[in-house]
Amino acid sequence: MRLPLRLAAAAAGIVLLVPVCGFGPDAAANKDAAEGARAADILVTAAPVYAPLAALQGGERFPKGAQLLLIHAGKAEPLVAGFWAAADANVSFDGERVLFAGKQAAGDPWQIWEMTLKDRAVRKIVAGEGDAIRPLYLPAGRLLYARRTAHGFQLQTAGKDAAYAMAPIDAEAGATVLPLSYLPGSAIPADVLLDGRILFESGFPLGTGSTPELYLVYSDGSGVESYRCDHGRARWGGKQLASGDVVFTHGGALARFTSPLAHEAAIAAPHAEYAGSIAETAEGDWLVSTRPAPGAHYALRDWKPGAAAMQTVLAVSGEDLVEPVVAAPRPRPKRHPSALHPWSYANLLALDARLSREGDLKAVPAAVRLETMDAEGRAVVTGASPVEADGSFFVQVPGDKPIRFALLDEKGKVVRAEQGWFWIRAGEQRYCVGCHTGPERSSENHVPAVLLRTTTPVDLTGAAKTGGESSAAGGK
Amino acid sequence: MRRRDTQPDVADGTVLSHPFSAAADRKDGSHSIFRRCGFVSALVTALSLLGGASLAPAQWNGRAVLGGQERRSVESVPYASPLEVLPSLDGSLLYVLCQGSEEIRVLDAASYAVIGKIPVGRVPRGFSLSPDGSRLFVANTWDDTLSVIDTKALAVVATWKVGAEPSSVVEDREGKRLFVANRISSDVAVLDAATGAEEKRLLAGRGASYLTMSPDGAKIYATHVYPNLSPHRTAPESEITVIDARRAVVTERIPLHGIAGVFHTAFSADGRLGAVAQYHPKNLVPLAHLEHGGAFEDTLTVFGADVGKTVEVPIDELERYASQPFGVAIAPDKSRIYVTSGGSELVTVIDVPRLLAYLRAHPASFVQDLSASAHYVAARIAVGMNPRGLALTRDGRRLFVANRLDDTLSVIDTRTNRVTVTIKLDGPTKVSAIRHGEQYFYSARQSFQGQIGCASCHIDSTFDGLTWDLEPDGFGRDIVDNKMLEGVKDTEPYKWNGGNPNLPTECGPRTEKYFWRSEQWDNLTLTDLTIYVRDMPTRLNRWKLPGYELTPAQERGKAIFERAVDKFGKPIPESNRCSYCHSGPKGTNQKLFDVGTKKATDNGALLKSPPLTEIAQTAPYLHDGSARTLEEIWTVFNPEDKHGRTNDLTKDELNDLIEYLRTR
Repeated sequence: MRLPLRLAAAAAGIVLLVPVCGFGPDAAANKDAAEGARAADILVTAAPVYAPLAALQGGERFPKGAQLLLIHAGKAEPLVAGFWAAADANVSFDGERVLFAGKQAAGDPWQIWEMTLKDRAVRKIVAGEGDAIRPLYLPAGRLLYARRTAHGFQLQTAGKDAAYAMAPIDAEAGATVLPLSYLPGSAIPADVLLDGRILFESGFPLGTGSTPELYLVYSDGSGVESYRCDHGRARWGGKQLASGDVVFTHGGALARFTSPLAHEAAIAAPHAEYAGSIAETAEGDWLVSTRPAPGAHYALRDWKPGAAAMQTVLAVSGEDLVEPVVAAPRPRPKRHPSALHPWSYANLLALDARLSREGDLKAVPAAVRLETMDAEGRAVVTGASPVEADGSFFVQVPGDKPIRFALLDEKGKVVRAEQGWFWIRAGEQRYCVGCHTGPERSSENHVPAVLLRTTTPVDLTGAAKTGGESSAAGGK
Repeated sequence: MRRRDTQPDVADGTVLSHPFSAAADRKDGSHSIFRRCGFVSALVTALSLLGGASLAPAQWNGRAVLGGQERRSVESVPYASPLEVLPSLDGSLLYVLCQGSEEIRVLDAASYAVIGKIPVGRVPRGFSLSPDGSRLFVANTWDDTLSVIDTKALAVVATWKVGAEPSSVVEDREGKRLFVANRISSDVAVLDAATGAEEKRLLAGRGASYLTMSPDGAKIYATHVYPNLSPHRTAPESEITVIDARRAVVTERIPLHGIAGVFHTAFSADGRLGAVAQYHPKNLVPLAHLEHGGAFEDTLTVFGADVGKTVEVPIDELERYASQPFGVAIAPDKSRIYVTSGGSELVTVIDVPRLLAYLRAHPASFVQDLSASAHYVAARIAVGMNPRGLALTRDGRRLFVANRLDDTLSVIDTRTNRVTVTIKLDGPTKVSAIRHGEQYFYSARQSFQGQIGCASCHIDSTFDGLTWDLEPDGFGRDIVDNKMLEGVKDTEPYKWNGGNPNLPTECGPRTEKYFWRSEQWDNLTLTDLTIYVRDMPTRLNRWKLPGYELTPAQERGKAIFERAVDKFGKPIPESNRCSYCHSGPKGTNQKLFDVGTKKATDNGALLKSPPLTEIAQTAPYLHDGSARTLEEIWTVFNPEDKHGRTNDLTKDELNDLIEYLRTR
């Protein structure tokens, strides 16, 4: 659909403001009241076709283009002009600017743009040959987005402020661009949490799986982990509420992660198909994109948590209305002070490899084996390390590469292995309580036996010569 | 030296407003002015902190001197700093222990009007009523006294000299004996309740501080804030010391494995359930990150017939922490346990039946499970800054919480778990720089997910008796002993390796990156925090005689400390004399030396000579805490006499040296 037609269609739909049935008998009657309660403008992406999970497979979420709409006082209008597609609005912490992904022509790659709401001035922030999507503001004048690479979309951050007076940041070569993720699969930003961590979507198992799952990483790419480890159901569209809870969808339902629980909690919201991320208004209402069933289009609804029904905010004929955001100031997340060392490798300490959510191992593994991935995507063993009697091991691993561990018995047989991949940033030092213990498991306060024996990690970077501690570990 | 904070609190005398109080802004419109004036003064002070002492205030007793000009304080009223609260036996009155203003304030428990203010001794910490309610006993930590208050006259009727840093006091049911916990001497003194005469001392845990009588009056439970000494790089060990109140003897020491920092204990009315608030540090694991309880867990130990054994109960969540648990109260009907968390500024409400059910269903330890609290925590109630002591009314309907650092009491309706009234205690209307710094010192809000504050490791602004494995030096490397903060001014550089040239560096980027792991304070707050830390007064040294003359043993020790010739007549090089490295008023010449204590896990041998301030209290010793006693420094870790010439000394002579060092 060409731009003029699409805008016209959107305008026609706006005039109709057709409530979609199935969301309560009084939805239309209550519309005015709902709008009156909302002081802030709303931004939403309108698209003829929306495939919410396509990017996780390297595909196109908006194959027929998309437009950003501004809903002001109950009426919608296009936010930006001159784009074949514009989506993924994210409002700055002061509420004055909007980041979005856009392409001016159908054949262009998605790039990152920024608009000043006051004067609607638009500037390109991030350029490059590949698609750049889902931009999010970070503290300290940086932004986050996903960049298409040979291995799918990967997380990147860039210094936004530096771009103001200069040309857009070259996302392929810019000095201020920092790749965060190193996976053989896609990672798509979802939100920046108030504690400074980045919430992102990727497949489970990480790097290999196709079930959408939510993960966390610091803004320097360190500390990647699952948000929760009750894996299984598809989760996407994660957004943090003012309460700190993270709301997401399974598609047919909403659910949330809360601080007290190690598993998701169901949300008793009206039955519908949910497109993805929600937005929370200052009044505590949720703006959600729903449709009654597959095949219909998503409309924008207002739901007061706990209410039996939703109210339609906007429905546009032939369009999916998705990714709502409130155009208002919001709390700035905390900046993460990166503590990465100037190394090409990383150090990892496991406190007790026996521990796991899947059941603690009764016997201590004899060794731990590390695999990384070569340029052709093949798993390559880089070495192995002995495991101490208390289950601890301390290893040096390649930084900024997909890695995974396997625990071996004395005969070199794998007794437990990671299903997916993860990465450790170059210069990162981290410890794990166990092997997939879950975020609810804290460490026991004792000096791991391996650190009483040596404070030099076993070199599993693959750069070590034959012999030494790596070969002594056996189990290759 | 008075611990009051009544002075002009920045170098130019500007008094700053409360940083968190929108109400303060609205009332006097001073907040924007505060930021502007505060910035200028903070800048001046920051320059002073970085560049030396020339611009620093010359004194703190109500006035300050800057550049030769004396500037007077706008206000000279001390902050109340309510630490503990206690209803009278008939419930008509509230007694509030105000540590800052050094008084007991008496409030009408219905209207909360102030009925009286009773001055007590220096820096009171604990108080309790006699069983008949006629007397209120107050433990004054900085002058080692006990104030005895007649609750009818609302006046002090006696002041008794007691042990070193008395912190808590209870009277037995017969009214014959008083039990007083002495933090510095780590014991419980048994006194005649009529005269205050000391009968004996009972050894308690290190830093004995809090006493609780069992509901039947038969036992007294004593807790302590510093861990007992344990082997190097092993988990801290603490205890609840159980005293038979009738016989005044210790009958049991309930071990608290892995705990460092034990505070108030509470019992259910039937005596079948006890709960104690405590810190569970992770000092032996590299401090690489804070997520998943990486630095501390906040826990209770519950015990008694309802539990059957001692069980450690975590009260944190996966992403939020109940940092610095302190006060505990149990509802009269045993339905709830209430716990204050000084760093997180909240009260945690625990559902007792759900807790007991969870304990029955989980007989194994679950202290490492941060999701466990979801099964028994009923509510988290936000209160004021640095909530400490708490008390329930007799009917359990109201819970009073003393918020030490914003001079308020929160009154909580226990049926709704909501703060219904916040009582503002008289005091300065504005927040000074030093007060502002103190607020942030105790708050955990700046750390990742609010897990820790400065006070987590510097308990009551002191130390924690632990060694830590910090991440930047390498996992398992450069294990460091945590040091006392008092008297830290003019002892730079900081860190054992002297890596931080001044306090703004020590408390600034390094702390943000390697401790908080999260964005911390703005520069103004950092400056205020630094002022607070820099000017923390040093408490009275209990080993010094009045008039500061030395005992014969101390004199002999001083001679050893300063000697230039060993016992065999051989000259001791100046650089190997105790008095060389440990020179000056703080006992440090602020230089780095290799004293032969480098371990295989240390990255370097050069260590800053540490100050000797309060050295008697701050075991363990050496940079890595490997010496559990002062004597071990020389008998175990000084084989080549590189840490001063000591191998020619006898046991008695080493004891003399220790006697002298204790006076520093």
